[in-house]
Amino acid sequence: MNKFQRLVYPFPAIAGQERMKKGLILNAINPRLGGILIRGEKGTAKSTAVRALAALLPETEVVAGCLFNCDPNDISRLCEQCRTLLAAGEKLERTSRQVQVIDLPVSATEDRVVGSLDFEHAIKHGVRRFEPGLLAQANRGIIYVDEVNLLDDHIVDVLLDAAAMGINVVERESVSYVHPAEFILVGTMNPEEGDLRPQLIDRFGLCIEVEGVRDPGERVEIAKRREAFDADPMGFIARWAVEEQAVKDRITVARQLLPKVTISLGLLELITQLCLEGFVAGHRADIIMEAAARTIAAWHGREEVTEQDVYEVADMVMFHRIRQAPPPPPEQPKPPEPSEPAGEQQEEPESLEEPEPEQAPPAEQADSEPEKQEDEWNEQEQNEQEQSNSPPAVPQEIVFAVGQPFQVKRITHDRDRILRKGSGRRSHTKTASKAGRYVRSTMQRKNDDLAFDATLRAAAPYQVYRRREQIAIAIETADIREKVREKRIGNFLLFVVDASGSMGARQRMVETKGAILSLLLDAYQKRDRIGMIAFKGNTAEVLLPPTNSVEMAHKLLEELPTGGKTPLSAGLTKAYGVAKTQLLKDPNISPLLIIISDGKGNVSIGSDKPLKEALRAAEIIQEEERIKSLVIDVENKGFLTFGLARELAHSLGAEYHKIDELKADTLVQAVGRAVSRE
Amino acid sequence: MSELKKIYPFAALVGQEEMKKGLLLNAVNPKLSGILIRGEKGTAKSTAVRALAALLPEIEVVADCLYGCNPDDITTMCMNCRERQANGETLPRERRKMRVVDLPVSATEDRVVGTLDIEQAIKRGEKRFEPGVLAQANRGILYVDEVNLLDDHIVDVLLDSAAMGVNTVEREGVSFSHPANFILVGTMNPEEGELRPQLLDRFGFCVNITGIIDPALRVEVVKRRAAFEEDPESFADRWEAEQDKLRRQIIEAKALLPKVQISDEMLFLIAGIAIEMGVDGHRADLIMMKAAKTMAAFNGREEVSEEDVRQSVDLALLHRMRRKPFQELAVDRQKLQGVMAGFKHSHAHNHAHSHAHTNTVK
Repeated sequence: MNKFQRLVYPFPAIAGQERMKKGLILNAINPRLGGILIRGEKGTAKSTAVRALAALLPETEVVAGCLFNCDPNDISRLCEQCRTLLAAGEKLERTSRQVQVIDLPVSATEDRVVGSLDFEHAIKHGVRRFEPGLLAQANRGIIYVDEVNLLDDHIVDVLLDAAAMGINVVERESVSYVHPAEFILVGTMNPEEGDLRPQLIDRFGLCIEVEGVRDPGERVEIAKRREAFDADPMGFIARWAVEEQAVKDRITVARQLLPKVTISLGLLELITQLCLEGFVAGHRADIIMEAAARTIAAWHGREEVTEQDVYEVADMVMFHRIRQAPPPPPEQPKPPEPSEPAGEQQEEPESLEEPEPEQAPPAEQADSEPEKQEDEWNEQEQNEQEQSNSPPAVPQEIVFAVGQPFQVKRITHDRDRILRKGSGRRSHTKTASKAGRYVRSTMQRKNDDLAFDATLRAAAPYQVYRRREQIAIAIETADIREKVREKRIGNFLLFVVDASGSMGARQRMVETKGAILSLLLDAYQKRDRIGMIAFKGNTAEVLLPPTNSVEMAHKLLEELPTGGKTPLSAGLTKAYGVAKTQLLKDPNISPLLIIISDGKGNVSIGSDKPLKEALRAAEIIQEEERIKSLVIDVENKGFLTFGLARELAHSLGAEYHKIDELKADTLVQAVGRAVSRE
Repeated sequence: MSELKKIYPFAALVGQEEMKKGLLLNAVNPKLSGILIRGEKGTAKSTAVRALAALLPEIEVVADCLYGCNPDDITTMCMNCRERQANGETLPRERRKMRVVDLPVSATEDRVVGTLDIEQAIKRGEKRFEPGVLAQANRGILYVDEVNLLDDHIVDVLLDSAAMGVNTVEREGVSFSHPANFILVGTMNPEEGELRPQLLDRFGFCVNITGIIDPALRVEVVKRRAAFEEDPESFADRWEAEQDKLRRQIIEAKALLPKVQISDEMLFLIAGIAIEMGVDGHRADLIMMKAAKTMAAFNGREEVSEEDVRQSVDLALLHRMRRKPFQELAVDRQKLQGVMAGFKHSHAHNHAHSHAHTNTVK
């Protein structure tokens, strides 16, 4: 026992946050609910509550001495060892123990999560033995990840893999092992730090959002209790022991009652109805909602689920699964008749799954108001003409507000290995430098970054045969393993913003600034370096030299005035210069130019026509392969569009987006798609 | 001792009262969980933190424990000490200064959280945990200069252990956990980028400091610095009396702290401020309350006054205000005054207290 545990704040002493507490209790009663994700701002007792839960968990029967906490009553899920014992005609010894909460720290390496070779044993006995990892300990228990959104992608993959199959298959470092790994995932996170991968989110049965308490009296109570705990933790725990035991007893009673709880047909229909209305993906929501409703009925000591129970759990189940409802198209099939036989219940959602939100046609929407559009466009054209006709000597400069930010959709670039791959922070590079997080080991020798643990494990089994002098372990070249480190470096994003007068028309700049802000927020979460260039009047100006300070960029963005002509080519040339300089400083970065413009350049630097010059500048940029670009077209949708930005994107070899296409599908839609692919 | 002399004495620092107050309060009460000092270059940020080390009180530790466990508190002991005590062993005691452990920005993760002990593995073929920086920092101060430049994954690790005071290691073949209860002190220059909100919240206090504007004080800064550089030892000697006074004040405050009472009225004031000012979560309330109590203890009182609360508001609130994306850190002063004005009745006391205060925190 080398696990240090701190004294834990008692569960019933947590003031307020009733829904979070209920969600946790439900999971303690019924492990089939599949865990809970608690999202919320900092300092709202998220972690405290989860850790307190550990004390409330019920006892279960396990095979004594089994590393995987096998259930002696369920022969189908026994581990190899227990099975062998049973086959040999031995009786499995039983013991009772509390369900475990296993901490998965964000710094965990793969070998400790899945398990690996026990090198100590190998050296001493020359025998390969599997040393169980966290997944083994967590079998039939709970894995708790604090700050789950910061977990390495690599580890998330491993978790998902095991969670999906209920077993952990280990094929590494000359050990081959399979063991049961059925666990509940409990995670806490602060959404400010970025969101979870859709697949991972769906693994959590319930999801709760918490925020601070607003009631002064309650706040005072929270502060008082915490202070009392800090001053005398033992005494505090003792004072709450009775209440804690009461909750524990109630959980035990509910657990026994649970198998007897029944749910009426009508309420099952209500559940499917709710799920349909929420456009949730797949069937998991229905199944979990039914289980959760029964669990809460058991908690209330009833054998019959009530409508109230269903509503009480509905949003915990649906919160992270709801997809935005599409505007109801007339051909939408009617909701199921309440009188339909129960047998069809399972199929209903599937047949209704077809009219996915994707069907909601954005094109139609646009077509529906062509006349209005045209008018507006004319109006806008007039505006623009007015703007460009006005004498350049007195450029009208207006500062527009920043529009509403939104979640940016994934910017992908298939020929670019630097841009965000999968769903990590933007870039995963396997750097040659010895910095970064050690995720696993490799046999490839590249940079003398010795992975000592892996090397030991490689060498250990052969120690019996090797000559050792004065040392316990002799290492040969073939044993050497190196660390594979992953560093989430950000990219260098250079915003090239068109601040000319034409951007002022129809509040286009407001929208543009909103889009830039959204990209900046995204850049913050990915820790990108950023820079900003604005072009207007006759020149382009480096507003923000490359920096990590997204705040500075935001401030400048707010103050950025709009007005004058459009020196597009000057903007591009400047951007090229800045990107080149950055490349000289750090050849490893891959600058991404984000050009936000309508492409209507009307001032040139040299003697060429403005547009021709801009396209030539674009071609020069394209020739530098390390610089990638992205054009965001802000030209308004209308009857007559010039499509100049698209042309520009073509010359740049850049990805092209319309500004209104930038918005990400909501998170939940992404979940839906990911699930339907599974 | 000669090494200590080379450190600029805390008492000789000119101006920057908020910062000094924040640091001193943390020296009195480690539960305040640290301070973040934000400011431009050359504002004595690092100097102040290093100077604080010389003022830190002594603590009782288990002499041969890697984590500096408290021999009188079994609840915070590492497993090894617990076992020894359970086996009836008398743990060897020692008094030593609270440590200030540096976390360099270039630190690697294995050094921070600890890793497999290579020597043990090679010599004996045994798996043993080699403690890292977090182990050393237990019951001390973890100081990160330029904390905003810290590698992202190191920040993740810090968050993890700062939250619960436990460092859980599951890496490189070792599985271990030990107490890691530290005061997080960081300095940063905001021009280089902001901190992540989650990390920001882990600092109990936050102060913004700027260069001193008053010419007379500026001259004083230069004079003292020059005198220090010329002859650090005699400079330190000259300030020793002041230093000693502060040291004693810290020790007395530490002793008084458990007796300090806070009235419900003051608690409601704190809750009111937190709600009205729109802070995230509840940590602000807790920190304000602890800060006010510590402030009272520092000034030798057993009852928290409104002025104590007022003094702690800025420190605890600055970095917890709910902001729009990328909005700068700031406290809405007018609004705060409005909230405080709702508690006018005890105004009469204020004057006396603030006087007592300017005399003590210097």
